[in-house]
Amino acid sequence: MKKTRPPEELLPLTPPVFHILLALAGGELHGYGIMQDVARQTGGALQLGPGTLYGCLKRMLAAHLVEESDERPDPALDDQRRRYYRMTALGKRVVRAEAQRLAGAVTAAMARLAGEIA
Amino acid sequence: MISQSDPTATAAFCRLYSLLLYAYPREFRREYRAPMEQLFRDRCRDLARAPGPTRLFRFALHVLRDWFNTAARERAAVWSAGRKPARRSFVTEWAGTILIYLFATTTLVQAYVIPTSSMEGSLLVGDHILVDRIAFADPGPLGRHILPYRPIERGDIIAFLYPEDVRETYVKRVIGLPGDRIRLENGQVIRNGRRLIEPYTQHIAPYPDPYRDNFPLSPGPLTTPSGLDMFARHVRNGEVVVPADMLFVLGDNRDDSADSRYWGFVPRTCVVGKPLLVYWSYDAPTDDLEHWSVDHAVDVALHFFAKTRWNRMLLVPRSRLALEAGGAR
Repeated sequence: MKKTRPPEELLPLTPPVFHILLALAGGELHGYGIMQDVARQTGGALQLGPGTLYGCLKRMLAAHLVEESDERPDPALDDQRRRYYRMTALGKRVVRAEAQRLAGAVTAAMARLAGEIA
Repeated sequence: MISQSDPTATAAFCRLYSLLLYAYPREFRREYRAPMEQLFRDRCRDLARAPGPTRLFRFALHVLRDWFNTAARERAAVWSAGRKPARRSFVTEWAGTILIYLFATTTLVQAYVIPTSSMEGSLLVGDHILVDRIAFADPGPLGRHILPYRPIERGDIIAFLYPEDVRETYVKRVIGLPGDRIRLENGQVIRNGRRLIEPYTQHIAPYPDPYRDNFPLSPGPLTTPSGLDMFARHVRNGEVVVPADMLFVLGDNRDDSADSRYWGFVPRTCVVGKPLLVYWSYDAPTDDLEHWSVDHAVDVALHFFAKTRWNRMLLVPRSRLALEAGGAR
């Protein structure tokens, strides 16, 4: 049942989901890699705990935003216990739509606040 | 965990975290336990590289908050998924409802309607009442301590199976307990030689009736077989003496009530329970309430709002203690 829904239906994304998708935009990662990348993206503001990370991944798997990968991209660091995740085509469209939505929100906010900031 | 030279502390924290993982639902644990432990170990290793007491504290706080929130969230997800109607078939859904209904209506409460005016003053014709079946049900030696059981007392309103025809349920007030001596003089009850002042009663005698007002004289045409038995075996010196395991009951509408004066005592075993509250009161004639008819259904549908006595809604019928005046003779 791989029904492709329009990406807009899944918006807005929660911050952890958005940043996990962004992390996976650069390629496949395992849990720890995702966590490190999200911390880097947000300047350390968003630290994903294990429960948050795997709870989000569970829901994202169910929504077909990500999938588990069988390949081991980094043999040096490989460990049987590590699971790798990659973004699906739907995930790519959803994160792009969310980025556009956020950009729109930022533009609107800037236009409103321009006078006050100046 | 604080320094690299302390791997035992790291191991201890990891073991503790493994225990915390039991808070998650089983399915989630089976799927993600290993990677979550791995991630936790990685975080510990990071911390060991750059130790510091506040960092350790912040990390512990962060992990605990993450654990608490997400465990609750995953549990809630499992719970709400289990409650999805699509997951249960139509039959199981209704079976549960029916089982609860049967249990509640046979052991906890039961609904009755008051068809006659014999308790008028306290309960009106058309009062729909819920009867608490636990209150007076003897729960045995163990249940006595757990259930809200209490013995029947004088002044209690009780619902009971009419001894002459157990298909009918009556509601009356208890006047005499086993051993009590009862008589009526000019419509007033004299119990154990003391005149009762009963503010809850209603006397609207359309005609005087010596049988009704000066009880017990001698059996009359309305006396039923068990009433005759009471006259024959339990009248002593012009007073009825309530035998063991029996109750003497009277209606509050004292002049228009078929009660123990006419059909004798209520066996303790016939008591159903204690009227709990009036959940609906509808102004309708006795006949309509005793026998269901299409006309009555139509009447309810058309006049539901006008004929419902809203002021009686959720009324609680109370036990009332009669005042005992001085000696009557």
